[in-house]
Amino acid sequence: MTEKREPNEDRAALAAEHALRLLTGDYRRRAEMLESSDPAFAEDVARWRGRTAPLFGEVEPVDPPQILWDRVERATAGDGRGSNVVILQRRVGLWRAATASMSALAAALALVLLLQPGRVPLSQQPQQQAPASPPLVAMLGDQQRQMKVVASWDPNAQQLVLAVAGDMPADPRHSHQLWVIPADGKPRSLGTMDSARQMHMRLADALAELLQQGATIAISVEPRGGSPTGAPTGPVVASGALSRA
Amino acid sequence: MLDLQGCAAAPAGFSFSRGAGWGMTRSMDRMSRIADTDGGRAVLAELLRRTADGDQAALRQLYQRTSAKLYGICLRALGNDGEAQDVLQEVYVTVWKKASRFDAAKASAITWLSVLARNKAIDFLRARRAAPDDLDAAAEVADDSRSALEVLEQSQDSARLAHCLEELDERARAMIRSAFFDGATYPELAERASVPLPTMKSWIRRGLLRLRGCLER
Repeated sequence: MTEKREPNEDRAALAAEHALRLLTGDYRRRAEMLESSDPAFAEDVARWRGRTAPLFGEVEPVDPPQILWDRVERATAGDGRGSNVVILQRRVGLWRAATASMSALAAALALVLLLQPGRVPLSQQPQQQAPASPPLVAMLGDQQRQMKVVASWDPNAQQLVLAVAGDMPADPRHSHQLWVIPADGKPRSLGTMDSARQMHMRLADALAELLQQGATIAISVEPRGGSPTGAPTGPVVASGALSRA
Repeated sequence: MLDLQGCAAAPAGFSFSRGAGWGMTRSMDRMSRIADTDGGRAVLAELLRRTADGDQAALRQLYQRTSAKLYGICLRALGNDGEAQDVLQEVYVTVWKKASRFDAAKASAITWLSVLARNKAIDFLRARRAAPDDLDAAAEVADDSRSALEVLEQSQDSARLAHCLEELDERARAMIRSAFFDGATYPELAERASVPLPTMKSWIRRGLLRLRGCLER
């Protein structure tokens, strides 16, 4: 782009473009990231939604068919008394359960890794890792979601073990993809996840050396088969930092 | 920033086009306008509040009062009945779940609902086109809350926006309207107009910044 703009002009324009939903690709992702991380930007976007809203006045109302309310009613009646509070409590309950089982799981996994360092045949262990490194564990999740994942990394065997607790949202059009985000902040793909409760992956040297204490392990939602660009394109549904078990 | 002019204007049509102002403007709004909007604005806000409490009867009333407008918005973006109905259903299911996110101090209920409907329709459009690089549908799966539940209205009205759109050159105006109503992206607009993408971007950006300047004047 050749036009020169002040950085704050650029941001103002980005907020407007994002509110109108003109953006695609990296621009859209940048705007989404800013919207969730920068309150001033988010407010700007919200203000643009308000600014353009009078255009809705031009839209002619059209009565939807009668049966549509029945569909809405059915879709919302399933929640019983259905209050948000009830839903929220259910979520919190699930989350607590998942967290509890996850902590137990993490402990168990860490134990397994600590007590059985020799599970992987010695011949497959890389030479340069000679001094045994301690296993690392990352708890992936956040409070809103019902899926929790524990990732355990055994640097000596270069083996990553994933255990899923709770519901991993399934959708035939999308895959979950696993990433490591090392100190340089650039996500590297560790591959897509299958629907199994447990997964073992042995990582190549180049990836293995990125799994250091403090590196983030994240799961994003991607088109079926994985990100087409090699970088995360969808939202991150769970993430956590690697730390000593 | 306070725009008292907006209060004086009395545009026809939907109550949301009369702005929610801030501070003093807003309380003036309340006192002077509730009558001429048939109390519509306050009623909708109250229905949303009750919906947030899990009151399905309130959702039903809200549906009765707003579904024709929101269906119009979905139809305009999607261009066919079946999809517009699917999206409309999803809009009200989202309202059911997320009504607590509505803040009557920031926007009118009908504006909030309209923005939600537009965004849901665009989510659907993007998923349908399934551009691999632009999977808003994926965002959908993971998180509903992020997409556009925050709306901030200032005291402005349709007459004022129309005036400011008039000040833009015709090209920019047409493109902005197209983006708004059809949910067209930059690449799509560039293709339709047969111009390079950077050209389209600079037309629209300049237009948007000028628009802001005019609205804030």
